[in-house]
Amino acid sequence: MYILRRWWDRHRLQIVLVSLALGGALLLRQTQGTALFEVYQLLTRPFQGNPEKEALLINAQVVELQQRLTEMESQNQRLKELLGYVSKGAKDGITAPVVGRSADHWWQHMILGRGSQDGVKVGYIAMAPGGVVGRVVNVTPNTSRVLLLSDPSSQVGVTVSRSRYMGYIRGKSSNRAVMEFFDKVPDVRRGDVVTTSALSQLFPAGLPIGRIESVDLSKSPAPEAVVELSTPMSSLEWAVIYPHTQSLPPADASLSEPL
Amino acid sequence: MIKRNFFSVLRDDPTKRLLLNCAVTVGSVLLCLLVLPTRLPGMELAGIGPNWLLIWVVTWSVKRSMLQGAIAGLVLGLIQDGMTANAPTHVFSLMLAGILTARLRKERYLQEDFISVALIAFGMAVVAETVTAIQYSIRGDRSLIDIWTYHQLIALSSAILSSLWAPILYFPLNRWWQRMSALEQ
Repeated sequence: MYILRRWWDRHRLQIVLVSLALGGALLLRQTQGTALFEVYQLLTRPFQGNPEKEALLINAQVVELQQRLTEMESQNQRLKELLGYVSKGAKDGITAPVVGRSADHWWQHMILGRGSQDGVKVGYIAMAPGGVVGRVVNVTPNTSRVLLLSDPSSQVGVTVSRSRYMGYIRGKSSNRAVMEFFDKVPDVRRGDVVTTSALSQLFPAGLPIGRIESVDLSKSPAPEAVVELSTPMSSLEWAVIYPHTQSLPPADASLSEPL
Repeated sequence: MIKRNFFSVLRDDPTKRLLLNCAVTVGSVLLCLLVLPTRLPGMELAGIGPNWLLIWVVTWSVKRSMLQGAIAGLVLGLIQDGMTANAPTHVFSLMLAGILTARLRKERYLQEDFISVALIAFGMAVVAETVTAIQYSIRGDRSLIDIWTYHQLIALSSAILSSLWAPILYFPLNRWWQRMSALEQ
């Protein structure tokens, strides 16, 4: 008893400090670093400009418009065949400055300066000049964390705009993504525009993503193509967050990630 | 004059000394955490910045025991998990970096502080990224070729940048801790 007591007296301070540090770290981990991102946003706020006044990346926007047009033309033909089609109407987006990047090199994240106080929720999608950027995965009162399309863990169902062949893309860490087709012999060639497909649950259909850069039809088990994402992810300063609710709940989360 | 007063107060009052020491330590961690999401010009290489938490763990562990290094790695690893995603965890890589740095007993091999800290940070950055890459390989949701080509890019850029920026954190913190331990005795 005496030994125990003496040991406690000698190490009391260290134990208290270590448990405090561990407790604090666990708290930050469980809250997904909310407090940290809030402080970060508070400190970087003076350095953020005004989204409305910023000149947008015009070149990228022209590319986006071209891609949207291709998609619209293609879609238009199909829609003409459908009777009773009702347009949902455009939803308003939330313009947000890009305040930070991923806190680790293995993840491709982007931190935006708008959060739940501005109405951002997990699952909303982020767009930028050039097309889709990613999906909101975490929200604090004043920031939100976006998982970029270029992250290897982000998979999106896509379709080739011209021929409507479907597949999914997987990020390749830079400005590239790999598209895997569902068909054995897809009609696809270099320069084709790729958009989100109607099968995608995490993203609304028909949003531009990028262009086919190269095609490898001999790849096993499925043909692959390299997609160049049309958004310049590394030089983005602004993004627009659009509300999106998943059309279907993931059928079985344990089986696979929803596309 | 003020400076002398300041340190004499610290010498006479252990509670204040402890509080201030804790505040400086926690403050430096906080600073590292807040720099982590930024990509300032001159601080990035191919979109990859220095691994500030690793630099902090190395700075902390250089003159401490293996257990202290491991605890620092555990605490910062948990926080970084919260800031990114907790699978694969950063706890292992940072703990290993802390333990190895403390184990090095660098005064036996290297004398010059500036060079040795930069070298240790370089080595530990490679070790830490390798641990993460191994965790990814075990999880098996990405192809091995992708993981290890990406690992080369990350490990090299992160190691170069971390070693270059390590002294900026090491010098003030090391001086502070040395002064505190001198007052302690």
